[in-house]
Amino acid sequence: MAIGRSVPMLDAPARVTGTVDYMINLRLPDMLVGKVVRSQSPHAKLLKVDVSQALHVPGVVAILTGPDLGANALYGASIKDQAVVALDRVRYVGEPIAAIAAESMDAAEEAAMLLDIEYEELPAVFDALEAVQTGAPILHEKYTDNIFIHSKLRHSDMETAFAEADEIFEDVFTSPLAQQSSLEPHVTAARWEGDHLTVWTGSQAPFMVRRVLSEILGIPQESVRIIVPPLGGAYGGKGHIRIEPLVAVMARKTGGRPVKFVLSRAEEFVTVTKHAASITLKTGVKRDGTFTARQVTIYWNGGAYADASPLLVPQGMVRSVGPYRIPAVRVDSYGIYTNLPPAGAYRGAMSSQATWAYESQMDIIARRMGWDPLEFRLKNLYVSGDRFATGETLHDVHFIECLQAAAGAMPAGPSPEVNKEKKVGRGYGVMMKSTVSTSKSQARVKLDDSGVATLFTSTVEMGQGAHTAMAQITAGALDIPFEQVRVVGPDTSVTPFDSTTSASRSTNMMGNAVLAAGAAMKRRLIDLAGPLLEIPGEELRAEGGRVLTKDASISYADILKRNGLPSLEELGEYSTALTMDPETGQGISTPHWHQGAGAAEVEVDTETGKITILRYAAASFAGRVVNPRLAQLQNDGNVIFGLGPALMEEMALDGGQVTNPNLADYPIPSIRDVPLELISVCIESEEGELHGIGEMTLPPVAPAIANAVEDAVGVRIKDLPITAEKVLHALQERLKP
Amino acid sequence: MILIVNGGSYQVQGGARTLLEVLRDDLGLMGTKEGCGVGMCGACTVLVDGRPFSSCHLLAAQAAGKEIVTIEGLQRNGNLHPVQQAFLEHGAFQCAYCTPGFVLMTVALLAENPSPEDDEIREYLSGNLCRCGSYQNIVEAVKAARRK
Amino acid sequence: MSIKFLEPSDFPEAAASLAEHGDEAKIIAGGVSVTLMLQQKLIAPPVLVSLGRIAGGDSIRQSSDGLHIGALAKLRNLEQSSVVQEWCPALAHAFRVVGNVRVRNQATIGGNLSAADYAADPPAMLIALGASAQVFGPDGKREVPLGEFFLGFYTTALRPTEILTGIIVPPLPTSARASYHKFSSISAEGRPCLAVGAVADFDADGRCRDLQIAIGAAVETPQRVDTAEAMARGESLTDELIAAIAEEYAQALDPLTDVRGSAWYRREMIRVFVGRVLKEVRDGNR
Repeated sequence: MAIGRSVPMLDAPARVTGTVDYMINLRLPDMLVGKVVRSQSPHAKLLKVDVSQALHVPGVVAILTGPDLGANALYGASIKDQAVVALDRVRYVGEPIAAIAAESMDAAEEAAMLLDIEYEELPAVFDALEAVQTGAPILHEKYTDNIFIHSKLRHSDMETAFAEADEIFEDVFTSPLAQQSSLEPHVTAARWEGDHLTVWTGSQAPFMVRRVLSEILGIPQESVRIIVPPLGGAYGGKGHIRIEPLVAVMARKTGGRPVKFVLSRAEEFVTVTKHAASITLKTGVKRDGTFTARQVTIYWNGGAYADASPLLVPQGMVRSVGPYRIPAVRVDSYGIYTNLPPAGAYRGAMSSQATWAYESQMDIIARRMGWDPLEFRLKNLYVSGDRFATGETLHDVHFIECLQAAAGAMPAGPSPEVNKEKKVGRGYGVMMKSTVSTSKSQARVKLDDSGVATLFTSTVEMGQGAHTAMAQITAGALDIPFEQVRVVGPDTSVTPFDSTTSASRSTNMMGNAVLAAGAAMKRRLIDLAGPLLEIPGEELRAEGGRVLTKDASISYADILKRNGLPSLEELGEYSTALTMDPETGQGISTPHWHQGAGAAEVEVDTETGKITILRYAAASFAGRVVNPRLAQLQNDGNVIFGLGPALMEEMALDGGQVTNPNLADYPIPSIRDVPLELISVCIESEEGELHGIGEMTLPPVAPAIANAVEDAVGVRIKDLPITAEKVLHALQERLKP
Repeated sequence: MILIVNGGSYQVQGGARTLLEVLRDDLGLMGTKEGCGVGMCGACTVLVDGRPFSSCHLLAAQAAGKEIVTIEGLQRNGNLHPVQQAFLEHGAFQCAYCTPGFVLMTVALLAENPSPEDDEIREYLSGNLCRCGSYQNIVEAVKAARRK
Repeated sequence: MSIKFLEPSDFPEAAASLAEHGDEAKIIAGGVSVTLMLQQKLIAPPVLVSLGRIAGGDSIRQSSDGLHIGALAKLRNLEQSSVVQEWCPALAHAFRVVGNVRVRNQATIGGNLSAADYAADPPAMLIALGASAQVFGPDGKREVPLGEFFLGFYTTALRPTEILTGIIVPPLPTSARASYHKFSSISAEGRPCLAVGAVADFDADGRCRDLQIAIGAAVETPQRVDTAEAMARGESLTDELIAAIAEEYAQALDPLTDVRGSAWYRREMIRVFVGRVLKEVRDGNR
């Protein structure tokens, strides 16, 4: 049985020999290279963009600027506020003003230096809390308070609920601007053939790209073909449309020659970021250890354009409540414009910042009330059947199991005392995350007369092993050997619709679509086999690559051959369309919940503030695990990734300019940053449904570490990242009389 | 100028071009890639006379006449190098963008020190970044390869 | 972009090329800094004078007057050299913690010192050891104590036509002990927040005869504090004296702020690590 086996990734040999065809390797005949020319000002009127001198550089084929854009110059996932290249205004340092297509990068760079650009500076604002104040610079006329989206959740009467509390806690937690930092940058190539456009791009959402491009270009979606090879990492940064519009429009000026844009590492930092966020949690508790109310206010720094935020901010609202029974909940989740690069999804989208807040506050509450942080959690964690703050009933939730699994991996015995000699402490974090509420996945399975099955899927392979998992599910659905399955895609002209590969939705949703296709295929095979075996369909079953009954059987391949069919195809689909009331957030927010927990044991050097993670245990609920090794890799990988925002990742800014746009000054976790001991547990449920595992163990990392630091040395850090300097500063403040 | 790459001799133009550019653009060896451009991530790792270098900050001219090995040069008669085999068996990758770099570093490490301790492995590989976070499996793969 | 790549076989030839081409030429040693600057379009010299083929340029040898290190010696070779390890394990350690193995395979000590990046490791240890830079120029050879070699951010005492040809580290008495510490405040990788190199010589009673401590990475140029060092002369390095010396360093220096730490934090770390390194020197081995 293929499902449940740790088979190697389908293209594992290519991965160890460096022959994977990443976007960065794409070469097309007659290809030009592209370069983006970017704004040096955080906020300005664009008075002049003169390309005349630049056009004379030998090797330059075409230059794209605002005037080239047609009627649909503005686009956006929801709010169309972003121009393909700047029209009359720039709103962040790094915003594309022009694009150059040339025979060589040298020519493009020479031309870039010859562009004559004039700005009229405007006041700029970079902090979300400042941006909403009266008098702050306004980025988009329609939004005079710079708030472009306000998602609301209203569940029960807050005033009464807070009145019932014995203690009320109010804390502010912040997360800084950060960057997804996939090792492969954004790479996109485009080629026009008449009115048909082909775009090769490193994107997690090919059909979203297709739709938006068709809108911008004013051509039918069928005229746009999006092809996505395996990605060198994405982590949400490639989850929404990025440079595809610029590249597609640029390619219209090259006389049919394809043009490829490869962003540099520095450009990555001005292309998409992780929302900086300030989260205020006001929580009421009773002395009996239960909650009465929680009020959440989140300011998400969306950057200069709405971009993906209108999709993410409502999700952030749902993800900010936490996995505990709280009768009254109110959330206000704001998306705010500032003169920074646009923010998008970053692994554990919105949950990363939200879990930092609610799990940190759990320990603040526990300590002040004299409760054990672990017991306080276990007492209040949701169980199946409970109702969430949206009113929906929770099913298949295993938070308690996750937390117990993580905590259980810690050394036995009471926490060490906080004193000068022993600086070791323990902390926990639990995460509750929704996935995409409305989306659709289709899968097409083709069986040929040699018995080989090909799965056509638009799920993107970005290292998580999605194609391998889908192949295993296909094999399981048809009950044929894994080795007989091939996977094709994504290619929007060939593979059927999928909303997106993100929010850890694919194993569940595409997986279910594959199961549906497989079930349909089995039924079809039975129908075709019946007459051949002269046995009624109801007595037949499809098993082990054959249609059979007790006394007779025929292989799938023979069924096709004897029917004169070279192949059979079946389409499967799985979708959810869940809605919430726009004023109250009541409804159903997710088809199922993602659950993860972490336990950290840290040592703090009280003289330097430096944190060493001695042991970290991560547990996630994985439902029915398709590939145990790949699931473990995801669990481990998420913890290691999570060390970044927890301890080291922070974009530095000066007047809106990113001053550390490189991996030397913006560190990401290295092999020596890994906890001395890392334990990971996937809690499975054999009868359960297929479940996502792409993000679960990441968000608990930061609060678990902060909680362990408080346990060790009695200081509370509320602003990420938890640096040695912050810890030392807090230690010294605490010792002051 | 002549570059000796994976056992073959190639006439190339150097100029101010890095070895990374020449390998990819002139010789079509796409396994070596840029990840950061400043020598921090190791995605551009190549072996020069058996030692690992960041080809993104090495001029092609500086490697002239030396024996350069890229990821493409490890296989023998279509068979995976033992280090590649160990990485495959231990699932020591996810998106695998960093994998050629880690594999070559491991080859160099084991040539220098056939039985490294765990901490020596981590120190040697400390300059290779894996954003997907496959470090644990990578260390297991190296440990397996050292026994071969 | 076409570039002329010259490969002189000795330092006089290299200096002559530099003089001949003037502003148009740039020296390239290991090539780490130069290649990165070329890639980022910070420089565009038509001529590169490579020191890669200078005979004996990378030699590492002991002599009666000291440890002689050729400027072209790679950091990795220095780190692994038994000559260096015997001479001073702390110095080998200072080379070993630079960057990563790949950088150390390529970077030379001459290139490292000439670049005068404030966030470097070897300078602090070499200055604590009293090392000098050997320089060759149109006016012949001269020696510059490394303590006077660094003038500011990315600025050294080298004149435009001069080349750093080697380092001499004076002999250490057998009674001396040294220690080096690189403190990374954020990731385990990357450049230091603070570098501390210390050398102390002890008499038979365990009193300190002489002390040199150099601080790097936290300040614009690597520095010693004479007044603090003087406190140790003739004294036993008690915990109290060590704390006082560390405090003196923390007060005397003017630390900088960058992504690895603020000036405040660096001042704290100077105090902590001068203390720790001095204790290592006092209690440990060479």
